[in-house]
Amino acid sequence: MIQSPLSGDILFSIGPLGIDKAVVTTWVLIGALGFGSWAVTRRLTLRPGKVQAVVELVVTTLDAQIRATIAGEPARFRPLIGTLLLYILTANWSSLIPGVEPPTARLETDAALAVIVFVATIAYGIRAQGLGGYLASFARPSWVMVPLNLVEQVTRNFSLMVRLFGNVMSGVFVIGIVLTLAGLLVPIPLMALDLLTGAVQAYIFAILALVFIGSAVEGEGSRNPPPKQEKDA
Amino acid sequence: MSFDWVTFGFQLVNVLVLLAILQHFLFRPVAEIIAKRQAETQEALRRAEAAEQDAGAAERAAEEARHQTEAARHDVLTAAQDEAEAQRKAILDAARAEAASLVQKATAQAQATVTGAAAETLTRARDLAEVIARRALSAQPDGAGYAARLAQALTALPDDQRAAILSGANLRLAAPAPLSAADQAVALAALGLENIGFEQDQSLIAGLELRSDTGLVHNSLAHDLDRIAQALTAEAAA
Repeated sequence: MIQSPLSGDILFSIGPLGIDKAVVTTWVLIGALGFGSWAVTRRLTLRPGKVQAVVELVVTTLDAQIRATIAGEPARFRPLIGTLLLYILTANWSSLIPGVEPPTARLETDAALAVIVFVATIAYGIRAQGLGGYLASFARPSWVMVPLNLVEQVTRNFSLMVRLFGNVMSGVFVIGIVLTLAGLLVPIPLMALDLLTGAVQAYIFAILALVFIGSAVEGEGSRNPPPKQEKDA
Repeated sequence: MSFDWVTFGFQLVNVLVLLAILQHFLFRPVAEIIAKRQAETQEALRRAEAAEQDAGAAERAAEEARHQTEAARHDVLTAAQDEAEAQRKAILDAARAEAASLVQKATAQAQATVTGAAAETLTRARDLAEVIARRALSAQPDGAGYAARLAQALTALPDDQRAAILSGANLRLAAPAPLSAADQAVALAALGLENIGFEQDQSLIAGLELRSDTGLVHNSLAHDLDRIAQALTAEAAA
């Protein structure tokens, strides 16, 4: 009997609050990422070793991506975009561990990520343009567009959530079905494909969040928006 | 399908906590070390540019020093050339003066030598003339003696030569001065000849010679002087 991917799996409770398996997995991921970050960065040197070079390459690439999308210093957006990218990537790839279901396959997790992006977009927009300027950006290019822009603020974050949820959940679901039907080794190609899908989804989510924030910060849209990523994904 | 708001809330907080953790333990330290390295690289570049400028200044200074050394070398060479030229000129002048002095001395010496040689030659010529005159005059007879000596010389000739002279045309007696009739008679008597002619020849100096178109018999002071001079010359050459 296959468990529905849309249903929760409460492992234990803290008082009246049931702790879902996805939450526990996220805690483990937080611990792993936090410990790994501490282990890597506790002895940073000016002449980097291999691990430090890889970490610096990741941060430098992230900064370059941010700089290519939003003008200005990338340090303002690096924590949020980098956290989204690393968390979604590790969460998606956690499905490779037997018995672990990626937290991003749960709608609550994706909704939380989308809400964070939604709030961050508004916060960055107000911070960059002021409240009046940010609200005035909804009337561009014409006041007629105000309702559409308001709806767009919600729908694009909703699509962000649903896209990630649908891709990851479907991968987990298909692998579960194949695993039930064909045994141990057959799902391996699908798992490899799931690796690629997980990386692509993490990148898409982070980049779209960056584009949304960029459009809010710069008022008239990002400087170099990736073409049609939102609709094609 | 149900939406678990508790899980949603936990995940919301979890992501924010993760954001804080990664910012504190990953992004900030890595960004700081990158910035520090970039600053160090910029500083190294700045130092390299400063060093390059210093090197450029040092190169320019070296170039200037090289130019100065070149100019000093040129000056030293010019001074040395001038000094050498002056020394050469002085040496040349001294040599010319010494040569002129030597030439003058040599000329004077040569002139003295020539003068001495001329005096010696003159002395020898005088001595020789004296010897010749003494020898010639010691053998000269008086007027009748010349006729007798001519007769002896004619007799001393071989017969064919004597016959050739005596039979020759234009047979005559030559004397440095016209002979008187008495002298002519004495001469003809000494020679045993008759009806021959007489002629005057001052080159004989003194004496009496018998001449014809086929020969002659010498008997004069000029001839004696000539023989004595030839003998002295042959003696000196030997």
